[in-house]
Amino acid sequence: MAERTSKNGKKAAEDMINFKDPAYYTNRELSWLRFDHRVLAEARDKSIPLFERLKFLSITASNLDEFFMIRVASLKDMVNAGYEKRDISGMTPSEQLRELNTAIHELVDLQYSTFNRSLLPLLEKNGLSIVRRHEQLSDREAAYVDGYFEENVYPVLTPMAVDSSRPFPLIRNKSLNIGAMVRKKNGEDDLEFAMVQVPGVLSRVVTLPCEEGTRVILLEEIIERNIHKLFLNYDIVCAHPFRIMRNADLTIEEDEAADLLKEIEKQLKKRQWGEAIRLEVEEGIDRHLLKFIRRELHIEEQNIYAIDGPLDLTVCMKLYGLEGFSHLKAPAHEPAQVPGLTPGCDLFEQIRKGDILLHHPYQTFTPVVDFIRRAAVDPDVLAIKQTLYRVSGNSPIIAALAQAAENGKQVTVLVELKARFDEENNIVWARMLEKAGCHVIYGLVGLKTHSKITLVVRREEDGIRRYVHLGTGNYNDATAKLYTDIGLFTCAETIGEDATAVFNMLSGYSEPLFWNKLSLAPLWLKDRFLYLIEREIGYAREGCPATIIAKMNSLCDPDIIAALYRASAAGVRIELIVRGICCLKVGIPGVSENISVRSIVGSFLEHSRIFYFANNDHPEIYCSSADWMPRNLERRVEILFPVEDERLREELYDILQLQLADNVKASVLKPDGSYEKPDRRGRKRISSQEEFCIQARQKVMRTEENKGQSRVFIPEMHHDGE
Amino acid sequence: MAVRTFGAIDVGSFELILKIYEFSGKDHIREIDCIRRNVDLGSDTYAKGKIGSEKMDELCRTLHEFSEILKSYRVEAYKAYGTSAIREAQNSITILDQIRQRTGITIEVLSNSEQRFLGYKSVASKGEEFRRIIEQKTAVVEIGGGSIQLSLFDNDTLVSTQNLRLGVLRIQEQLHSLRAGNARLEEWIDELAMAQLSTYKKLYLKDREINNIIVIDDYVSPWMIHRAGGNPDRTVIGAEEFRSMVSSVRSTSARQNAAQMGVSEEKGALVFISAVLVGRIAQLMGAVNIWVPGVTLCDGIAYEYAEKIKMFRGEHDFERDIVACAKGISKRYMGSRKRAETLERIATTIFDSMKKVHGLGRRERLYLTLAAILHDCGKYISLVNIGETSYNIIMATEIIGLSHAEREMVANIVRFYHSKFVYYGQEGSSEIWADRETYLTVSKLTAILRLASSLDRSHKEKMKGLKAGMKDDELVLVADTMEDITLENRAFESAAEFFAEVFSLQPVLKQKKSF
Repeated sequence: MAERTSKNGKKAAEDMINFKDPAYYTNRELSWLRFDHRVLAEARDKSIPLFERLKFLSITASNLDEFFMIRVASLKDMVNAGYEKRDISGMTPSEQLRELNTAIHELVDLQYSTFNRSLLPLLEKNGLSIVRRHEQLSDREAAYVDGYFEENVYPVLTPMAVDSSRPFPLIRNKSLNIGAMVRKKNGEDDLEFAMVQVPGVLSRVVTLPCEEGTRVILLEEIIERNIHKLFLNYDIVCAHPFRIMRNADLTIEEDEAADLLKEIEKQLKKRQWGEAIRLEVEEGIDRHLLKFIRRELHIEEQNIYAIDGPLDLTVCMKLYGLEGFSHLKAPAHEPAQVPGLTPGCDLFEQIRKGDILLHHPYQTFTPVVDFIRRAAVDPDVLAIKQTLYRVSGNSPIIAALAQAAENGKQVTVLVELKARFDEENNIVWARMLEKAGCHVIYGLVGLKTHSKITLVVRREEDGIRRYVHLGTGNYNDATAKLYTDIGLFTCAETIGEDATAVFNMLSGYSEPLFWNKLSLAPLWLKDRFLYLIEREIGYAREGCPATIIAKMNSLCDPDIIAALYRASAAGVRIELIVRGICCLKVGIPGVSENISVRSIVGSFLEHSRIFYFANNDHPEIYCSSADWMPRNLERRVEILFPVEDERLREELYDILQLQLADNVKASVLKPDGSYEKPDRRGRKRISSQEEFCIQARQKVMRTEENKGQSRVFIPEMHHDGE
Repeated sequence: MAVRTFGAIDVGSFELILKIYEFSGKDHIREIDCIRRNVDLGSDTYAKGKIGSEKMDELCRTLHEFSEILKSYRVEAYKAYGTSAIREAQNSITILDQIRQRTGITIEVLSNSEQRFLGYKSVASKGEEFRRIIEQKTAVVEIGGGSIQLSLFDNDTLVSTQNLRLGVLRIQEQLHSLRAGNARLEEWIDELAMAQLSTYKKLYLKDREINNIIVIDDYVSPWMIHRAGGNPDRTVIGAEEFRSMVSSVRSTSARQNAAQMGVSEEKGALVFISAVLVGRIAQLMGAVNIWVPGVTLCDGIAYEYAEKIKMFRGEHDFERDIVACAKGISKRYMGSRKRAETLERIATTIFDSMKKVHGLGRRERLYLTLAAILHDCGKYISLVNIGETSYNIIMATEIIGLSHAEREMVANIVRFYHSKFVYYGQEGSSEIWADRETYLTVSKLTAILRLASSLDRSHKEKMKGLKAGMKDDELVLVADTMEDITLENRAFESAAEFFAEVFSLQPVLKQKKSF
């Protein structure tokens, strides 16, 4: 009785807390910036090979570009529209912009101090010197670059001058340009503006002839040095590189767009010309030149970034690509074979023997490609259905699908045209597939299809059997070597039925009356997650041990976070592995004391979404294409699938446990919102990504050893109690 | 045994459904795929009387896609049936022709009773569960877009069935302009439905207590199946619980309702109407349990086809239901049960003895039985004009399991059993005979029934030990009776004339007295 009273009291106390109090949430944009900081920390990590650090620096730069184009742009749109609604952390769009501005400037400063103060000297020491300014070239080098300019660069340049008869040119989004103030040779007229775009078709890094080591110069320096050759009748007063970022948020009025394909093509063209939201200029740029550019682009002071170093640090990726220096790079990763799925094996037979789990990139993605290739030529296969979100250039999957259609199979492909920044690519594939006779669905009105599912319908002796592949990552053989993802092959009838229903729905038919195993966003998934969290709360309240372990890319759905807070308050142990944005705060007394959050940033991009619920000692593990974000749960088609095979469930649980034990690449979220590396003193060094690589190789070796022992018969034994 | 794939298409009032089935081994039917699309034909038919071009295009587009899906599964056969929205559309013939031209799919239109019969077959395909439930007094409530069908089972046999024009789309059409929330809607549905339901109760239900209701529909079923999460054990629900389920959605928004029901918002309103109807009917009948097996017309189509190709053997005896139904009608119109039984016995004895001559099968034997049972139903109206009145009663009463054409055959057998036979090609005959086949069947069965009747002229069941056999070109009937059969002999002679004319076979009556 007393116990019940105390339980009831505890519940009443929990009911009193407003788990949606903005004070319990972190702004998602600021949280994202912290993520980019964690990536930057990798670039600053001395234990990482030097060229890998360059790569991380490049990633922080491209991340930030995207962040500007989408997130900052959308906040600006809100401010412009007078939209003042507060986010979950209680900030208005203008407040967010203000804080972001300071935070981004800090991030950029840190990027360049990393480049200038850590990386450049180390590169120099290791035999790669970068000529920062063309004035530093030796005579011999100067002669070489001038020759290079005339031969290779000059023919592709389009110099533009601005005067009363020629308006300010349209400057392309993300392009690097050189702006100059020029004066007519007779010297009487006023200063005029002229500019030239640094051509994207030429390599930005130009290697100089040198006897020892490698010396390089950046293309913009070569152009700057020779800019007078472009404006012959003018004197060049000053010339400096600059770069702009435009609002690129692609919002499509689908109801009005009769032809989605055409609409996207139109929007893509428009993206080049959105409002300028960031201007990067060389530090020490001429005052007049800056003023002129600023006026023409209508850009505010706080959105100007004076850069001490090369604009657009994605150039670091080009430096990474320079020949040699292999001792300064991590050895190339070779994904291991999946035991049982050796090349040339009968994939369908293997799947019939039992579900197969794939852990990429530790294990190869080839079986997934083979799955479709094989289905394309298998006379018993009736249909192949697949969702495609981002596919690689020259995708073998696309080729196989096209071949299947040519072989008379019914091929249905949902090509998500709205996959951000990939639209152009996707349109090309979509058209090609259509030509081959595939039934191509160009996404769904109002929803992005983010789920990753493939269904192969095969007519076998005992009837129709459905083979399904479900994954957390895209069907992209290139990124499958870099992103960590989970894939599942199964021919379970329940999942096969659901998969059929998924494609019926995607083809515009009605939803099924019920789902056997899968949960789909935007209609059912959020409720499912809330139910699973709620179930743990119920167990915790009954005094049973209750645990949730969830791994995802981002966590910012307010309903889910509130449910997690409620669960924590009820005594559920919650361990989260969230790579990027995390709006949840840890360590709030009475709210989130039982929640831990860690983020793993390593050489592979953490991308898998795995969810574990203890379920009173009957654990359930799910994988999904969805993050706990409103956009995933409410505006996208996503799939959550259970992994039910005992063996595979244990495998997934081990993956989660190893990630929780990571003390090398993990950072732990602190109550103040900062991330810290765990204290490693006295503990064994554990890098989960390295460990997974080793495990994957060991698995193959074990299988081969077993094969070697095939002369030994292993009798089946009867065990008591079985 | 080889696996066979079959496609069933249901062109319903609100939805087009294609289901793909696989028949493997004995008695195994597996549903492989279910493709549904809302095409609201009913609102056109019930409001405007015909299907408009917009709906027609949508219909053809979807059917064309269906035909592609059929191809992709390499199905060996398919059946496509249209129900009331097509049946009642004034332009149904044109529509069907256009569909055939544009999609290659041939749609057959089901009469109401055929449709209902397939409905039963689909529930019966649930086997054991169905058998268990109908052991108690059970009503099958089938809710369609245009009408609802109420059928009563007693001791696992169907005893009566009635069609009420209270389909959900029809009700929605009537309430459409009123734009009310669910709470008011319920009252109006009540007002619309109760008059008809009360009459039904007075005429058919009387004091009969019904324990179980089986619901077949495309509206409440999805909700219940959704709620049960596919678990068959949860598809039986107490009537009380059902009513509280309905009241739980009375005051919530259409969007919330749709989410709770697991259907689209558009369909949610129809689900509500159907649920209110089921609730009222359960109340009216005093039912304790409601079973929603979640079967669809497509399941019935597959069941029937599988039976036909001998890939499935159903356990329920549907013929017995049809006979029981006819007996119910006869009882309603105060037909003589004894006389009907005698007539049936004699007629089928004759029928069975001359199979080689008439060339008719099991189904035709059933028509003969039904005609015997219903032979005197018209006398309830008029003793003078029994042929015509019987014909009219039979044509106006549904017999589940018989198609319209079949019912007309039975009605004509009864008609010409009493009235002067109208020959094929004779003046005015084109209104009676749809085709030669029908004519021949009816004439043969009429001749047998007339002959049988003559053998019980006095209605005294003198021919208990009747034997029939063929000898040369004679049909020899041996009556083992001690009674005076002079009257029967006279009647036999006149019936024999028509019989001989139809079969070119002379019937001979012989009396055998066993002392």
